[in-house]
Amino acid sequence: METATKEQVIVIKDLVKAFGDKKILDGFNLTVEKGSNVVILGKSGSGKSVLIKCIIGLLQSDSGSIHVFKENISQMTEDELDQARSKIGFLFQSNALYDSMTIRENLEFPLIRHWVDISKEEVERLVNEALENVDLLHTLDMMPSELSGGMLKRVALARTMILRPEVILYDEPTTGLDPVTSREIENLILKLQKKNHTSSIIISHDMNCVKNTADLVVLLLEGKCYIKGTYEELKQSTDENIKQFFE
Amino acid sequence: MSLVIRFKNFLDETGNIARFTGRFFSVGIKPRYEHKEFFNQCYIIGYRSLPLVGLTAFIMGLVLTMQLRPSLVDYGVESQLPVMVGLAIVREIGPVITALIFAGKIGSSIGAELGSMKVTEQIDAMTVSGIKPFKYLVATRVLATTLMLPLLTILGDAISLFGAYLGVNIRSVTSFDLFFLQVFKSLDFSDVLPAITKTLFFGFAVGIVGCYKGFNSTKGTQGVGISANSAVVLSSVLIFIIDLLAVQITELLGLN
Amino acid sequence: MGNQKVNNIKLGAFVLSGLVLMIFAFFIIGRNNNIFGNDFKLKVRFSNLNGLTKGNNVLFSGLQAGTVKEIELINDSTIEVTMQINSKVKSFINKNAVAAVGTEGLMGNKVVNISPVKGMSQKVAEGDLLQAKNMANMDEIIEKLAQTNNNVASISEVLKGTVLRIDSSAILKLINDESIGISLKSSLENIYKMTSNANKMTIGLNHLVNDIKKGKGTAGLLLTDTLVAGTLKDAVVQIRAASVNANSMTLQLNKMVKDLSHDLSNGKGPINTLLKDSLMAKNISFTMENLQKGTDGFNQNMEALKHNFLFRGYFRKLERQKKEQQAELLKATQQR
Repeated sequence: METATKEQVIVIKDLVKAFGDKKILDGFNLTVEKGSNVVILGKSGSGKSVLIKCIIGLLQSDSGSIHVFKENISQMTEDELDQARSKIGFLFQSNALYDSMTIRENLEFPLIRHWVDISKEEVERLVNEALENVDLLHTLDMMPSELSGGMLKRVALARTMILRPEVILYDEPTTGLDPVTSREIENLILKLQKKNHTSSIIISHDMNCVKNTADLVVLLLEGKCYIKGTYEELKQSTDENIKQFFE
Repeated sequence: MSLVIRFKNFLDETGNIARFTGRFFSVGIKPRYEHKEFFNQCYIIGYRSLPLVGLTAFIMGLVLTMQLRPSLVDYGVESQLPVMVGLAIVREIGPVITALIFAGKIGSSIGAELGSMKVTEQIDAMTVSGIKPFKYLVATRVLATTLMLPLLTILGDAISLFGAYLGVNIRSVTSFDLFFLQVFKSLDFSDVLPAITKTLFFGFAVGIVGCYKGFNSTKGTQGVGISANSAVVLSSVLIFIIDLLAVQITELLGLN
Repeated sequence: MGNQKVNNIKLGAFVLSGLVLMIFAFFIIGRNNNIFGNDFKLKVRFSNLNGLTKGNNVLFSGLQAGTVKEIELINDSTIEVTMQINSKVKSFINKNAVAAVGTEGLMGNKVVNISPVKGMSQKVAEGDLLQAKNMANMDEIIEKLAQTNNNVASISEVLKGTVLRIDSSAILKLINDESIGISLKSSLENIYKMTSNANKMTIGLNHLVNDIKKGKGTAGLLLTDTLVAGTLKDAVVQIRAASVNANSMTLQLNKMVKDLSHDLSNGKGPINTLLKDSLMAKNISFTMENLQKGTDGFNQNMEALKHNFLFRGYFRKLERQKKEQQAELLKATQQR
């Protein structure tokens, strides 16, 4: 592949994560290169969300290693983890905008937390810029409950982007949205990615989304990386486990 | 068999709450402090609860007075009504009723708020944004409930005593000065201090239980409802248990 | 952000009002307990505290002056009580003041009462020992009350006996002039009635005798018997005599009553009158008795006459006439 010589942003080796007796991830391996979009396919409950939560340190893996920018996430202290997290963006499936805060406060929140010394004017400028990127500047002083699902997703995207992360993890970005809005979100993801030169891991089972965004598709099955390849490669496959996603 | 399992679950829950409480003391007390959120929570938990607490306290004082009067009249000590009511309100009724109302209002709202934040991944989002949810959400709320409940109790006691004053005046006449003098003449530090001290613990219990239940809420809207409900039930029971302990301790210390 | 400021102001007001109330309450309670302010101590030794405890009030002439600070057992019959006295009251307590354990109300808390004693003395100083007055406590009072009660009971027993004796004595009876007056009056009335009855009877009998003489009526036939006529004559004569007697008796009585009432109205008083001569009272009694007897006898005679079958018809006729008269009278009243 032509991207083989590029910098490796995320390297996951033999990742194991179990809940009780049930092994969700069982020796998972993945490498994400700079500037590429990796889509992880998988059925519900196959451990996709668990995987990206392990990457950002929301869940502790049982064994194996996760290196983000050559630093091992699974052996970090809380403070180091906070530091590393400022380089990783995370778009939650349910947006996770704070209900009790306005859109402005939602966007300010990570800024003033991660960059303690930031000036008020700088915060204002960044918030406006982020909202402008998703065309929602007019919602600045609204509450999340006043916005529609698609708008919320865009705000959430703006919040994820505001820290200029180098890696973004998307947890089912188009789930629960109508096809038109889904397309808008996908285009937005691609646009922002080009602008900021980020790498991303996208979890999805929306094949349109996969088709539009993926540089590399990974199928997660029984806790392992079952197969990886481009969208076209996988589409050609005759494997039953792969074919069911393309029907 | 199922009884054994239930008992084990109960012990498990108790252990988890104890661990959660321990976490509050190990994590929540260290800097960095979330001043702004703490004051915001104080406003919501303290100030916003005042109308409800005030109303119930007022009614309680009035009703207690009217209920006590007949038996005092029977013994011919109607003039001791302010003393009786004052002692009852300051020592027991005020703190416990206020704490129960508080548990109903604040315990459930904390349980539901943190529960829904948990369910909609807002707590995870905080972690990702470099905020310690335990500090930001739990420590501030627990500290706010612990400090606000005593204040609410004092204000509630005052309102309750005013209700009692009106209650005395329904059937007979007493001046405010006389009522005030009678009540305070019967009160001692050994009445007020244990009563205020125990409300600190009531508030702490309401905060910890509400946060624990919300923080460990299971998925779905049903889970949120369950956390809110069980937060109220558990904190109400805890209030009575603490009350029982408080009376024993004050007895042991000879403060009664 | 403006909203935030308003919220903060509200929160501040809330917290401040709570704290102010708490400090205010503590201050008032503290003032009651004399924790604040420069108080000084006085001591007093009692043999019995009657349940006085630490924290009880100390009153000076009934005024709240401090609290009991400490109680210490010195020996088996002495307990030293240390009192904390309000500095405002301090300057009014003399060295010769006495302290006593008392009770607030009937069942209330114990208090130490300090009361001033007349006479000049220095003002008290810090740590002075006041004189103690051991006051009776409630139990003793109740015991004494019981004793008093017993005394009253026995006194009243004696009194009762005395009263009974006085009551049973003759003098008391006579003192009561009113009843005698009433009985005298009624006696006189009886006599009047009796004499008028006798008069009527005599007239009636006269008529009857005349009728018989003329040979009228059913009875006339029977009166050929001289015996019957004789008894009848006797009877009439007797009746006349009785009525004459009665008349004179009435006169006598009248005079006596007049005398009596004269004495009374002259302001000599009933007791005076009656004590004038107890003999007279007896006389009156006798007279009355006799009178009664006399009238009784007359009545009996009359009754006997009534029942005599010979006069039955006559009396019936009299009765019938009386009834008719009454009926007419009734009719007249009804018509009216």
